[in-house]
Amino acid sequence: MTTPTPIMPLDDVRIIDLTHMTAGPFGTRILGDYGADVIKIERPETGDPTRSMPPFHKDIPGPERSGLFLFLNTNKRSITLNLKSERGRGLLRDLVRDAHIVVESFAPGTLDALGLGYADLKKINPRLVMTSLTNYGQNGPYRDYLGIELNLYAMGGSMISAGDVDHEPLKTAGRMVSYHAGYVAALASAMGLFQVEFRDAEGDYMDVSIFETAMHSIDMRLGRLMGYQYTGHMASRPARATAVGGGVHPCSDGYFLMTGGPRFIPNIIQMMGMEEMLEQPEWGTPEGRAHPDRIDEFLPHIIPWTLERTKEEVRQAAEKHAVLGAPLNTMEDLFNNEQFVARDYFQEIDHPETGAIKYPGFHNRLHREGADMPPRRRAPLLGEHTEEVLTGILGLTRQDIAALRKDGIV
Amino acid sequence: MTVNDNMNRNGAQRPENPTHPDPGLPLTGLRIIDITVVWAGPYSTMQLADWGAEVVRVESTTYFAATTRGALARPAMASVLAQTTMGMGMPDSEPGERPWNRSSTFNSHGRNKLSMTVNLRTPEGQEALERLVAVSDGLIENNLPQSMDRQGISWERLSQINPRLIMIRMPAFGLDGPYRGYRTWGNHMEAIAGHPLIRTYPDISPEYAPAGVPADAAGGIGAALAFLMGLRYRKRTGKGLLIEAPTAENFVPLLGEFVMDYSMNGRVWTQMGNRHFYLAPHNVYRAQGEDQWVTIACWNEDQWRALCEVIRKPELADDARFCDNASRYENRAELDAVIGAWTADKHASWIMERLQMAGVPSGAVMNERDALEDRQLEHRGYFRPLPHPEAGTHRAPMTPFKSANHPHVGPRRHAPRLGEDNEYIYKTVLGYSDEEYAEFDNKGHIGMDYDPSIP
Repeated sequence: MTTPTPIMPLDDVRIIDLTHMTAGPFGTRILGDYGADVIKIERPETGDPTRSMPPFHKDIPGPERSGLFLFLNTNKRSITLNLKSERGRGLLRDLVRDAHIVVESFAPGTLDALGLGYADLKKINPRLVMTSLTNYGQNGPYRDYLGIELNLYAMGGSMISAGDVDHEPLKTAGRMVSYHAGYVAALASAMGLFQVEFRDAEGDYMDVSIFETAMHSIDMRLGRLMGYQYTGHMASRPARATAVGGGVHPCSDGYFLMTGGPRFIPNIIQMMGMEEMLEQPEWGTPEGRAHPDRIDEFLPHIIPWTLERTKEEVRQAAEKHAVLGAPLNTMEDLFNNEQFVARDYFQEIDHPETGAIKYPGFHNRLHREGADMPPRRRAPLLGEHTEEVLTGILGLTRQDIAALRKDGIV
Repeated sequence: MTVNDNMNRNGAQRPENPTHPDPGLPLTGLRIIDITVVWAGPYSTMQLADWGAEVVRVESTTYFAATTRGALARPAMASVLAQTTMGMGMPDSEPGERPWNRSSTFNSHGRNKLSMTVNLRTPEGQEALERLVAVSDGLIENNLPQSMDRQGISWERLSQINPRLIMIRMPAFGLDGPYRGYRTWGNHMEAIAGHPLIRTYPDISPEYAPAGVPADAAGGIGAALAFLMGLRYRKRTGKGLLIEAPTAENFVPLLGEFVMDYSMNGRVWTQMGNRHFYLAPHNVYRAQGEDQWVTIACWNEDQWRALCEVIRKPELADDARFCDNASRYENRAELDAVIGAWTADKHASWIMERLQMAGVPSGAVMNERDALEDRQLEHRGYFRPLPHPEAGTHRAPMTPFKSANHPHVGPRRHAPRLGEDNEYIYKTVLGYSDEEYAEFDNKGHIGMDYDPSIP
């Protein structure tokens, strides 16, 4: 008897992916992880701009060598399609007819001008869910403003309170705000699909603004927006140490972030083996520990202690003594981290241009009966699945495709 | 009886909740047990409550989950003021009679949810939990795994009670492995994942690394999505599902290009601050006024030329130091000095508008007041007033995405006061009689106040 292959939640769902760059592809990547058939529509010849963005494998540029592209487009199929041609648009409409979800990240109005907006696509597929992901949303005074990670975080996120009081505010690393918005687009798409399938709704149109997704949540912005209304005080960047024992302390091989405060200081003192301090009223009583002078007084105790230890030694001591803290890891530390290694987090994926290299692993693990998570498929080569998709789904012949190729449609 | 995906289209199977009228939203009729703490977990159940799920927070009058309803149940005035400097705090910086109902953080993510109190360390408390599991669709939690163990909350047990349950567990590092019991907050987990060292200032010690929590937001979105995926899995298989969503594993992909550069090239990025991987200009500049800043970046030569025009230095466009992106990146300290000299005596919002008009990407660093007064958000109807019986009326954001079918999804009901919905949940949802409810009350399960022994 053969056991049927356990299903993934979306393995009967088809997504037409009209996104490019970083936010949209991150969102469809997550839906692909849940099993969806994500058909990525790319511009002929050049493809998604991230194909030409670093980092490249061995620092050698090439459309199949961008780490950013490879990471963002696992579990997808790629077809090329020239949407500036009527035939290209016709093929897209044919693909949309039986798709469940379209996700797109063009500037507002672009698809409408091509006759491919939600109003047009809904006519050929009334149960379609369409998700648009843009910098500021589909309407409003900023609709056509330009956006890049830096300024979207500045406007939407809590940049004003990130960093040190005597220095400039800091963005988050890399493209985190864009990715987060992509994640929200995945949730929006799923909420649309849920309505169609569980609530018998006609399709839905989801409007996702990166600015608004950052404003909603990142760095607990929600709580700060409420806090300002409650108290009239705005969030500010903290000083290096605002709580006794807390802050980033230097170790022999790096740095360690420790949470301090009157509540935690007895544990920190015990961790350091300096219990005799707790016999003094400054440290042994709640009132003593809460005095603001203790913040600076404690630094000459804690810093020599951490400096004599590696950040991992400090981490182990902290865990043992219920002190909240963690090392400031590098990527190298992360790859070698015992927890990530034990859970086999990083996934090796083979690829014709790069060979087998490690990728970030799954966001979530589904504990299906008798089944591990299915392996991820590498990112597609540009147009790798054009023939497979157009013959398999639309029933075109190889001659049809040769003609389309000759005319620059695919 | 478990709520059935197909039967409850009109909420017909669901008993009427007098304090939480059926809003006719997509997730109406689904019930989720919420055992979440701090931020990532509550943010996930907030998404689902916004869209209509009946989210029941399971709380206790005898246990105060740290940093969920504030730092302490009964904080001293100094502690309330300390929160205020972090941009959080309580209305008028007063703890009030019940401080746990006045936390800005809890009241921002608690909206649209219900609260019950029960002591899970007692047999009758465990029985109430079992009854709740039997009539719920999902359970979401983000606790240290061993504290769930101690309360007997495991997939093995709960799926016996309700084989159609969708259980989302969001420990920091996973349900197994050497870090299973390592207690951390979001900022520590992010340090393990490598974020603060990449993010911090380039020219001063990493001792000044900021402690942000972008991971919590993504963790919340991810768990809400996981629940919807679980529902679809259940519809197709008839079975429930355990989904493990460790916040660390959910976060590392948000550092994707750094992971890939290390994996492909062995390159380790640290202390990037506000610089881009390769673009210049790309920085935060001081603007006129106290703690006012503006961001400016260019990703092509047209933008760069437009910037030179606006700052009235058109000759810079062809200056050998700045004539292409590579030169600008190389000479970015000089470039930033020129741009910073132009921004320093101008308002951040004026700079943003002026540059955007000229086609240059720019954004003011918005503080809370700027955000609440922002004209784009105003146009989009992003905030809506929400009254709270113990905190007053304040503006709260709608959902982070807009649906054409349901354009007004957002805050409907205030964040629940501790134990506010006990009567509805015990009697109507769990089916306890008036006498049994009184017995729960006598045994200390029911209440709207923390036990006086809790600080």
